Parts: sequence; structure tokens; C-alpha cells
Amino acid sequence: MKFLRLQNDRYIFHLGKPESELFTLILRLYPVIPPAHQPLSKSNEPVNEAHQRLLDEALAEQRRENKTLVESFLTDAQRFQVTDAAAHMTVTAGEMEFLLQVLNDVRVGSWLLLGSPTAEPLEIAPTNPNAPHLWAMELAAMFQMNLIRTLNKKPPGAEPKTS
Amino acid sequence: MAETAMPEVMPDIERDEKSETRSEKEPGYIVICWNDPVNLMDYVTHVFQTVFGWQKPRAEFHMLQVHNQGKSVLVRESLEKAEHYVHQLQKYSLHATMERDE
Repeated sequence: MKFLRLQNDRYIFHLGKPESELFTLILRLYPVIPPAHQPLSKSNEPVNEAHQRLLDEALAEQRRENKTLVESFLTDAQRFQVTDAAAHMTVTAGEMEFLLQVLNDVRVGSWLLLGSPTAEPLEIAPTNPNAPHLWAMELAAMFQMNLIRTLNKKPPGAEPKTS
Repeated sequence: MAETAMPEVMPDIERDEKSETRSEKEPGYIVICWNDPVNLMDYVTHVFQTVFGWQKPRAEFHMLQVHNQGKSVLVRESLEKAEHYVHQLQKYSLHATMERDE
């Protein structure tokens, strides 16, 4: 994935054909993190139960929305200009944020499927059972870093977007 | 936190000095980001910038605190705002929680 240019607030990337297919495969893995995975708090206050439920619902809604966005993103005919050897992908900054969320879900979810190894740096010996998760985790990271590096190339003075 | 490039950062001292006092924000909840070996350092910095609107040095300072000390207290807020920030951080799959600031 190589950033080519910014055109009318849209970022244009070049992806080789295999890379484009891998990108599609990785996005279609979403969601990988299991629902209601994260606690709102580590304390056991009773008030947290209701708030935890609200958080779980909000995150579940977000996952549904992202899943729909992934499908519409990948099936948008204007999104990818495909030739025999490559594809040019056009995305906005907002879409890159959504892609980062999706890719990191795949990365963290794959790490969970690997048994949440704690060694740093993550040095996991590939085996037949863990290879697909390891592959997804590392590939998601590669695409993430490309997007982040591109977003960091914003013109000087540009403020980071608040959510 | 999975390592990428190690940034050189300085804490945003000016911003810290302007932080509200405890009494101005009672009841207070702190939003904590916890270390894990999977989230990329550049990614965590990016998420802090995006969610809190911080400039890069401040975001990197907190990212490194997470990386080196195991956690970083990101903000102290009301219950509703703390919940909002935890939701935003978890939306990006960061390991974030909120705790009552005793």
C-alpha cells in the first residue's frame, strides 16, 4: 500500500493486486474481538452494571455499523480503480479512521485468538493452528501503519480531528 | 504495547498546569489506558490525538507512560464524560477503563 496523492480531500493509495486482495480479506474478517469483551471499570461498584450494559450496547451498535460500512466500502465501484496489475483506492480522512478501527479490531482480536501472548516484542513462533491469526495480526498492523503515516503527513497547522 | 519508532517527547507541562482542580470537577472519574503488547505505539498516539484532540507531544507523552509504566491516567472528568471517553477509546480497541477518583 503506497500513498500516491491527496486530491480534493481524498487520499489515493496504490495497492498491488495481491495486496489489494489481502486488504479485502483482512477487512472481511471484521469483527474479530468478541462482544462485551472490555470492562468499563476494574472496580466492583454496583452502579457499574448498568453503565457496563450501556457501553456494551454502544460498542455492539458500533460493530454493526462498521460491519455495514466494510461491506459498502468494499463494494463501492468508485472506491477501487482496478487494472490488471494494481488498484487505486480512494478514501477520505474520516474513512481512514473507520479503517483504523476495523484493522485494529482484527489485530487485537487475532491476538486474543492466539491466547493473548504477553511477551514484548510479540515474537510468536508460527505453527499450523496459529498461522492464520498471526498472519491476520501482522497484516492488519502493516496496513494500519501505512494509514497512520499518511495521516501524519497532513499539512502543518492542521488540527487533529476530535471525535 | 507493540513497539514502532520511539519518539522523543516532552510532557505538555503548560497544559498540565492548567488542569482543573479536584473540587472543580467533583464527582470525579479518571480515565485510564492500560498497557498491552498488541496495540502499536504509533496507533495509540494517533487515537489519543483523535479522541482528545491533543497535539502529538502530549499524546506521545501519555502513550509512553502507558508503555513504560503500564498505565496512564488520561483525563479526570464527570461520570458522563468519562464514560464517553472510555467508549471512544474502546471503539479503537484500546484497553481503557474509568475509575472513581477517590
